[in-house]
Formats: sequence, C-alpha cells, structure tokens
Amino acid sequence: MNNYNSSSDTSMPMIFLKNLFSKTIRTSNCVPKHVGFVMDGNRRYAKKKDIEIKEGHEAGFLSMSKILELCYESGVEITTVFAFSIENFKRSSKEVDHLMKLASDRIRQITEHGDLAEKYGIRVRVIGDLSLLPTDVLKDIELATEITKNNNRATLNICFPYTGREEIFHSVKTVLSQNLSGNEINEKLLDSNLYTSGLPPLDLLVRTSGVTRLSDFMLWQVINHDVTIELLDCLWPEFGPIRMGWILLKFVFNKSFTNVGSKTGEEYDGELNETNGVKDDNNQVLNKKKN
Amino acid sequence: MSKIHEKVLSKHKSEAERQVAASRHREPEASIIYNTKHTSKLNVLKSIADAMIVGDESNQNDPNFKAMKRDSFWVTQLHFIVFKILLISVYFVFGIFRYFQYQYNKMRLRVLNIIYNPTSTPQLIRQDVLKLSKVPKRLAAILDMKPIGEVGGGVKGIVNDASEIVCWTVSAGIKHLMLYDFDGVLKTNVQSLRGEIAEKLSLYFGPTDTPNFAIRIPHLNKVYYNGADDENYNAKSEKVIIEISLLSNRDGRETIVDLTRTMSELCLSHDLELSDITMKLIDTELTQLVGHEPDLLLYFGPALDLQGFPPWHIRLTEFHWEADNDQVSYLVFIRGLQKYSTCKINVGK
Repeated sequence: MNNYNSSSDTSMPMIFLKNLFSKTIRTSNCVPKHVGFVMDGNRRYAKKKDIEIKEGHEAGFLSMSKILELCYESGVEITTVFAFSIENFKRSSKEVDHLMKLASDRIRQITEHGDLAEKYGIRVRVIGDLSLLPTDVLKDIELATEITKNNNRATLNICFPYTGREEIFHSVKTVLSQNLSGNEINEKLLDSNLYTSGLPPLDLLVRTSGVTRLSDFMLWQVINHDVTIELLDCLWPEFGPIRMGWILLKFVFNKSFTNVGSKTGEEYDGELNETNGVKDDNNQVLNKKKN
Repeated sequence: MSKIHEKVLSKHKSEAERQVAASRHREPEASIIYNTKHTSKLNVLKSIADAMIVGDESNQNDPNFKAMKRDSFWVTQLHFIVFKILLISVYFVFGIFRYFQYQYNKMRLRVLNIIYNPTSTPQLIRQDVLKLSKVPKRLAAILDMKPIGEVGGGVKGIVNDASEIVCWTVSAGIKHLMLYDFDGVLKTNVQSLRGEIAEKLSLYFGPTDTPNFAIRIPHLNKVYYNGADDENYNAKSEKVIIEISLLSNRDGRETIVDLTRTMSELCLSHDLELSDITMKLIDTELTQLVGHEPDLLLYFGPALDLQGFPPWHIRLTEFHWEADNDQVSYLVFIRGLQKYSTCKINVGK
C-alpha cells in the first residue's frame, strides 16, 4: 500500500487519470461543496507498519495533501480536517509536543511559495479553541492565515484543537455576550456564530479507521438531513486518492439521481395530513374501549 | 440550576409550537430506494438514463457557459461534450455496479434475517445478548414513517415498529431507550403507543409477568406509566423495567436555541453571570432537557441519516445501520449490539 501511494503521485499515467477523473466529475455539477475529514488511524498505521508514531503522523499528512489535491481539482470548495481534538491533550506530553511541531511545520509548508495553498488558491483557516495553543504555534498560524487570506478559490479549515461540543458552546457564549433579548435568538444566529459560519453547509463527512462514531466532530453540522456520512474501514494513511475518487463518484451519482426525481418533500406533507386522520381514528377506537 | 430547567420547560409549554423548517429530503441512497419509481429493475436503468438526459439540459443554462468568448466557444464546448460523454459512461458503469450491489445487499439481508430469526421469545434474545461482553446502557433508535400505502406504513406501522424495539430492548436487559422520529409522530400518538407496547410486552412475557414501563416526553415534561387502560398504576411501589424517551426534531437544535434564550434572559436580569456558563452547565441542562447521551444509535434506513437528532448527544455514540435495509428488523438490533460489544472507546488517547 505504501508503494502504491508513493507511485500514485509521481507516475504520469496516474496524474493523467486523476486530471481526467476530476474534470469528468466536475461536469456533473453535483460535486460536494464542503467535505469534512476525520483523519483517524495514524498511530495504528505506525504500529501496523512497525514504524515510529512520528512517522505515522507524517504518512498521514502526506495522504491528506494528496486527497485535498484531488478534492480541489474536482471542484470541492471547502474542506475541513480534524487535525487535533481538545481531548488529544491527554496524550503523552512528548507526542503532544511533536504533534504541535508537526502541525506548525506543515501549516507553514502548505502556505509556502508554490505549494498547495498557492497552487489551488486556498485560504487556510485554523478553527477551534486557539487559546489552548502555545504562543509559537499561534504565531505560525497567524502568519499562514495572513498570507493566504486573499485566496478565494477554496478554503481549508484545520480544526486544531477542536471539539464539536466546544464549537456549540463557543457559539452559545458568543450569542450570550451580545446581550440580545430572547426573541432575537434563533437557530440561524447560533449557526452564524459557529467556527464554520459563512461557508456552505457540510455535504460529505469522511471518517477512516472503521470506527462508527463522530468523536465530537462537527456535531451541529452533521445532523442535517442531506449530509452523507462515509465511514471507511481503512486507516488514514492508507486512504489514498483512489478511494476518495470512489467516494466522490458515489456522492455525485446519488446527488444527480435525487436532483432529478425527488419530490419527497411534497409527498411528505400529504402523508402528514393523512396521518392526522388515522390519529383521530385511533383516538376514537381508544375512546370506544374506555366507554 | 433546576431554575433554568423549569424556565425552559415553561417556555416549551407557553409558546405555540414553532414550525420547524422541515424540508424533508431523504438521504440520496434512501430516496432511490424509497422512490417507488425505481423499484422495478427496468425502471432503475430507465432512471439512470433520465438522470443523464436531464443533467445535460440543466448544464446548458450555466452562466459561465454562456459567458465564454466566441472564438474559444467551440473548443470549450467540444471539451465539455467529451467530458460529459465520459461522465455518462462512468455513470452507466457505476449504475450497473450499484444495481448489483443493491441486489447483493438485499440477498445478504435476507440470509441474515434467517440466521437471526425474529422471535417473540425473550429467552432467545437474552441468549443472544448474554454472549456479548458489553451491552450499552442507553440505546437510541431513529425511526422513519413509511408512506401510508406501504406494508408497515403510516402511524400504525411506526407505532408497531417502536413497540417491537421496546420488547427487544427489555429482553436484552437495557433500561433506557430513546426513540427518535423527525416529525414527532410518536409523541402525538403516545396513547396508541402505550396500548401497543403493553399488548406486545404481554405477548412476549405473558399477561401475568408483563414488565412495567414508563414513557417520557422530555420536551413536554410528561411521564406516562404502562398501558393506556392502566389507570391504577402506583409509580412508587412498582419497579419500572424500561424508560422510553420520545424525541423529535424539536429536541435537537431548537432546544439548544431555547436554552440560549433562557440563559440570555437570566443574564440580562443578572441572575446568571456570563462567567458562570461553562460546558458543564450546558451539558447538565441539556441532559435534563433531553436525556443522557446514548451509547448506541440504531438506524433502520438504507444509509445513515441523522435527520436532526440532538447534536449535543451524539458525541461518542456508536452508530449502526445495515446498507440498503429499509425495515425495522431484529437483525439490525442484534448486530448493532454485537458491534457495540467489540468497539473500544478511548477519548482522545
């Protein structure tokens, strides 16, 4: 799997195939606008391959940049990656330190001249409870955000350090600090105070490593009825562009179907009216029983 | 802190039910299967073709497309047509693949249905569950109301499904169950649900040993005990075996909005300081208003769709559903429990 990954970004036929695929997918007009990734399984991958945890995280980053490249080429506008959970501070201080260093290095790297951010016009944002970060990491982040703030073709949200509950809590608290009266507070207001405010809603959530839970990622956004959740059985560094391409194809295929023949919304109103009738019937039956 | 709880609840009562923006689009995969248009095999192929043709038409209205310069117009259009044809062929191949995958999944579900034979004997369910190393303390299930014309559709269908799940849960020895349906059909039909559960439980456990149950509607702060005709039930003296909470879309984001409103009013009247509001406070309030976070969430549809389930409550919840399944069947229940028993949760570590 390792060999196949490294060969996939260098060999000409693979690049050709990737371009062909992304252009084809683009013409469908159904590409997800906002994709979320939970990058899980770097440490298990390191264990499996018998390499250091550090190298596992490196492999994870490599995998991430390849997948982001495919996404942006296919027309995805926003990607949100779960890089570091607030709960991850519980790990050994050595690993936390290393993750911090890795993150600030990589954030610096992708915003460097000629790399991912410039190539695809990506605005890099770091979202989460930034107050928990050490100052030197914070400086790197500010710099990266500053350099890329005028890019407008795509956005990369790096959740670092982040939890979904903290995001909701943050939104609630921001709303409360505005001293608004009760009637002015609604779902939209809370929505616009989330870290992901102003961006198109989440369309697709991808989680690797065979775990079937969200682990506190984008809780508020993911419950929307039209979010597709893909839970995969492979570890994050093994999750290459080919698997991502398959997921995109599946998403686009399903979306083109529903755009054509879906009248589910209308159908549902009809059903609800009918159910009221049934409910009355039931009540009548119950009343009869009582009498 | 119970003050906040009471205030929010009084708000629930006084306010006329807010209309929830209920644009009910199903999950893409779900809609293909639910859409009666696509049930026959030929129709599936036909709709693939339809999708392609209509997709073509919609693209010609693309503003970018019109804005192209005259001289490069034909070149871009040629490119466009080439990729469109490629897309159509990819769709065609994928459509065929999807068709076989769908048939395979259906066959698999049929076989599994025979292996995990749905039985109304609690002893057999108990035997299945006793093999597991770990059983969830709290279970949640998302139910869909099917169209009224279908088998198991309408209110009767969903009430029947709900009471079936209650019986399995009691047999498995789980004490807390959350039943979620988007529109709150179960909440509005709580009386018929009570009757149905009592009936089903006496079928499972015999009329003399029917377990006692409590149905809670957190949003209205109401609790019902046992069947509809059981008026002389004494809540204190008899032990309740299972507590069922009925939830709907109203308990999701709307409840968080209500909590924010209440806290904002309290802040304005200086009964509550901004610095007092912590994650823990919100967590305890939402636990009181909605319930505890479930350990396992079962979905009986073809592809996971959370349909506005309370967002605060799915932090570490394990999800289980079977691909292309559209029935409330015992196999989803028992396989969900089996999956839960093998999963390991390590928060952050």
